[in-house]
Amino acid sequence: MTENDFSRRDFLKVLGWGGTAVALSGCGNTSIQDGQETVTSYVTLPSYVTPSISNYFNSTCAQCDAGCNIMGRVREGRVLKAEGNPNSPINRGRMCGLGLSGVQAHYNPDRVREPLLRTGDKGETITWDKALGLINEKLNGTKGAEIAFVTGGMSGHVQALLGNYMDELGSKNHFSYEAISPAVLRAANKKAYGVSMPRYRIDKARVVVSFGADFLGAWISPVHFSQQYAQFRKGTRPEGRGVLVQIEPKMTLTGANADRWIAVRPGTEGVLALGIINALGKAGLSIPADIAAVSHEYTTERTSKETDVSAEQIEKLAVLLKERTPSLVLAGGAAEGYAHGSQNAAAIALLNRVLGNVGKTVEASASVPFPQIAPTLGNRSSLIALNDGLAADKYKVVFSYGVNPVFSAPASMKFRDNFAKADFKVAFAQYMDETAMAADLILPLDSAMEDWATVVPEYMAAPEGAGSNAYAQMSFRQPMMEKVFPDTRGVGDILLALLKQRKADKYKDFEDFYSYLRSAVLKNKVALGGKAGDDDEVFWNETLSKGIVPLKGIAGSVSAKASAASLKLPVPTDADPSYPLRLIPAVSASMRDGRNANEPWLQESPDPLTTIVWDSWVEINPKTAAKLGIVEGDIVEIASRSGSIKTQAYLFPGIHPDAVSVPVGYGHEAMGRYARGVGANVFGMLDSVFDKETGELALNETSVKISKTGQRVIIVKEEGPAGGSQAGKQKIAVQVSADKVDLSKEV
Amino acid sequence: MKCFLRSLTLLVGLFFYASIHAADALPTLTTPDDVGPVIEQPIEFPHFRHAGDAKDGGMQINCMYCHTYARRSMVAGIPPIQKCIGCHQSIESVRDKPRIQKLFEYWDAKKPIPWKKVHDLPDFVRFNHERHIQRFYFQQDRPYQEVCGYCHGNVKAMTVAQRQKPITMGWCASCHQKDHPVSANSSETGHGPNDCFTCHK
Repeated sequence: MTENDFSRRDFLKVLGWGGTAVALSGCGNTSIQDGQETVTSYVTLPSYVTPSISNYFNSTCAQCDAGCNIMGRVREGRVLKAEGNPNSPINRGRMCGLGLSGVQAHYNPDRVREPLLRTGDKGETITWDKALGLINEKLNGTKGAEIAFVTGGMSGHVQALLGNYMDELGSKNHFSYEAISPAVLRAANKKAYGVSMPRYRIDKARVVVSFGADFLGAWISPVHFSQQYAQFRKGTRPEGRGVLVQIEPKMTLTGANADRWIAVRPGTEGVLALGIINALGKAGLSIPADIAAVSHEYTTERTSKETDVSAEQIEKLAVLLKERTPSLVLAGGAAEGYAHGSQNAAAIALLNRVLGNVGKTVEASASVPFPQIAPTLGNRSSLIALNDGLAADKYKVVFSYGVNPVFSAPASMKFRDNFAKADFKVAFAQYMDETAMAADLILPLDSAMEDWATVVPEYMAAPEGAGSNAYAQMSFRQPMMEKVFPDTRGVGDILLALLKQRKADKYKDFEDFYSYLRSAVLKNKVALGGKAGDDDEVFWNETLSKGIVPLKGIAGSVSAKASAASLKLPVPTDADPSYPLRLIPAVSASMRDGRNANEPWLQESPDPLTTIVWDSWVEINPKTAAKLGIVEGDIVEIASRSGSIKTQAYLFPGIHPDAVSVPVGYGHEAMGRYARGVGANVFGMLDSVFDKETGELALNETSVKISKTGQRVIIVKEEGPAGGSQAGKQKIAVQVSADKVDLSKEV
Repeated sequence: MKCFLRSLTLLVGLFFYASIHAADALPTLTTPDDVGPVIEQPIEFPHFRHAGDAKDGGMQINCMYCHTYARRSMVAGIPPIQKCIGCHQSIESVRDKPRIQKLFEYWDAKKPIPWKKVHDLPDFVRFNHERHIQRFYFQQDRPYQEVCGYCHGNVKAMTVAQRQKPITMGWCASCHQKDHPVSANSSETGHGPNDCFTCHK
């Protein structure tokens, strides 16, 4: 029978024609949906608003502590994008990827929307009145000494208000904590130059030698330093194009941009600095006697042996530094994260004195004239103090704001258990992060694009010109739109409400934090750049529209008083054979300490060096990997004495063979849909070793061993094979296998 | 038989193809089928009363008195209620009319009126009112009712607006590809921009 022989081929033909017909009929009027949506409609409209045309409001970025001045592009009542404020001496109109992702913190679907109260294992939604009443109730009968506040770095009027509240409660326990903090650098700078945060002038230097300061990626004020770096690299500059040398065990973004990248044995940065001073002396530079007395022991041979840097490199560096002045020597996290971190930083600071850079490329900075709004700087040692207090049952009520210590404290500190000992824990939170999950009462915060605040940056950049050494600034953060979730509140509003519980009379004139801030600013009109006769309303509006308030700051001064007298650098010892590798937790430009991990753009944007997205990884030198039999994509277990994680291996020639590196900020077990379960949390497995002088957590002091688990994955990354075909069939470079690459050689 | 079936299949396919294609050929300018659906609005706004000719009892108000953003922005915009009230608070004669009462209810409650979109382009199309108004109304000095009417039809005769033209890409292109005098009293001709990214960006 052939009648039923309607073959597959015929069937496909019909299907083909039919498909075309369907596709074509889709091109008609069907995409217009009249009468479905509503028009953007207003009751009244300010004269400056035109539908479809954007307005810009000046504000301050809240994504990291650099305090860049931004402009929010607002259209039809929605903030769409953040741009840099061109009048800002900090970021000069520029932005970084981290800052641009700020809108995702604002519109984030995982924000806490109502106050939550924990009873046992369950949480319930409560009203603000009940929440604030509950705090009042818990505080009554609690002594001031039993109340503790743990916050991130703070500044401005919110800090002033917090100070007032703590005074009312009689509490002096303010722990300002930052997971990744330049605390060692601050202390070393204070000793060496007399100021804790001088102005670095990369743009004025002819050579920059950076010991692990990732100033283009994540160090202090990266957008500001990127601007300086752009000047530094210009051949048309009177000083000519600058040369950048980066010395670090794990290549950072700055290292990748350097003319010479030198892989130093982890922890021997101070030894190398003294070796360079010795070599400078040999090359004919006069070294002050007190320094020479120490540095003469660090002969090139000894230095080379201890640091793994060849004698030739050390001599070349000395010649480079001697011939090209002024230079600038920077010390960053990679050199400071050790038990002798302060010593390393001090030895590196000696170089600036020897080379005569202090006063030239290390300049004095100014501080704000109002101490109550000056930044309170966060560090790790305050967390240790809090943790010890909690362990000793000293604190009954703990408030946390802007920090996530349960996530970022090493597991060996047992912070989670100690935190649970406090009777009543209040978290001011935007997300249900690990610390909020451990709290009893969660107060939902406005996003930085809905809230009022003033910000004083720690690193005080200044515009060029006269008086810049006394330039200080205060920046405004102002709402750019209505609240996304109506029941969240600003931190200032909450503090004011809490203060009214204690001192109703004193604060009765202030309806909300806005009116408090406005009256505080107008009271100091003259100090903030106005004239006594200025109209209040006009002054306030002008100040807000600029977003930046220049202040006549208290000028500091730098002095080259770095001394070698008390310098004690340990002789590097052989690694413990059971934990042969050094773990270097990497701070990436977008993930930082993990506080923004729930912004999907940051998870999505490839790491600049490995191009990996949406996961953690461990960087292993190809030579080390070959010894261990590890190939790319192997899931390996990295174990320290204090804990272990599992993650994918990435073979990376930009790391010292004795070290492995894992980025921090990943591996949240809470916080939100984009952060939870992505990667592994390396904070947890760090050993509790602290810098001997500052008490800062020594991030790089953890020794680990690596073993294969037997699983293997294909790493999700942007990069193709090195030298592979791009845009056609042309080879762009000769392919070199990863274990043959030597990045310390000049290319 | 097999052969017959095959050719039948092909024929049926071809018929489908041809019929669909015929329907999808360049649309003619306007047909009664192009008129959009009647859309119910929160207030049955009488365009004919405001913009209509004097002989029909209208007040001949310029479209851009209320749709004021058309000449300055991508969208023509719906006037804020403030604008309606600006006039109507001093027009006592119609204060007790149901539509005006409704208007004042919205005003007193400070609630925007949820007007429905009558000309809703897909999100991948960017149409700019400003460019068209500046070109035809201000540069070429054509009457506003003609300029707005190219796309919106004779709104001055309607109560609430109803779509009169297809507003499809082919319909836009039918005008953009046509040679027009470059100014009102010039013999030189030119046509509208024809790049994809002018509208699709």
